[in-house]
Amino acid sequence: MVSVDRSPRLDLVFHALAHPARRAIVRQLSNGERNLSELAAPLNMTFPAATKHVRVLEGARLVRRRVVGRQHLCRLHAAPLKEAMLWTEQFRRNWEARFDALDTLLDEMKAAP
Amino acid sequence: MNLQISTPTDTTIVLTRTFQAPRRLVWEAMTDPARMRCWMLPPPGFVLTVCEVEPRVGGALRLAWKSGDADPAMTLEGVFTEFAPHERMVHTEVMKLGSGELAGSLLELHEFAEQGGVTTMRITQTYDSKDARDGAIASGMDQGMEAGYQQLDALLAA
Repeated sequence: MVSVDRSPRLDLVFHALAHPARRAIVRQLSNGERNLSELAAPLNMTFPAATKHVRVLEGARLVRRRVVGRQHLCRLHAAPLKEAMLWTEQFRRNWEARFDALDTLLDEMKAAP
Repeated sequence: MNLQISTPTDTTIVLTRTFQAPRRLVWEAMTDPARMRCWMLPPPGFVLTVCEVEPRVGGALRLAWKSGDADPAMTLEGVFTEFAPHERMVHTEVMKLGSGELAGSLLELHEFAEQGGVTTMRITQTYDSKDARDGAIASGMDQGMEAGYQQLDALLAA
């Protein structure tokens, strides 16, 4: 068994990305800075609900917010967190580990009388 | 890399992998519970407790995992809708948390082709929606984090 050496910060990141609305927000912000209303609108979400999701993303340090006049402007932090690369890379690792174990099993099966 | 992953549509994930073994053996490794236990690595902190396969159309697929906190912590149940030995199988798949809460459902197609003693297996997962598909990738990320998290940490710090 792999040792469990969890980083609390990463747990926050994974938790933050485990919700489709928050992934949608991350996707929106990957196109540039947005205010809270702009983030809420395409999600068919109330302003407070969107704010709650943004707070979770802020807690994971994926989003930074600044106040300009009456606007709360959000932008993506951790630009390297590119959806396709990161998500598929980890998904790949899981399957690669399983299939490597399958390779070992198949070698044993081939060697068996 | 040998494993190829693609997302040809919004609701599908396709995995293709070759194995240096005849497809008869790959098929056995994929459908015999005793063999499956050898390669179906559970997420960190989990133990595979149930692994049952009824190898026929209409037959059931049952898997369950426990963790230090819950038994079962997670279950996977499916039904085979196609079962053509050494060639092709299709099964449904419903994942639930120990509480009974639905964690996801999908249809999984396995295709096996052999050439010169090398088997190519293609798995096509079809999810109910794009969000469900993306969620599966995201949860896969969670499970795989032990292996990749140093790299990830470096990325996030950048």
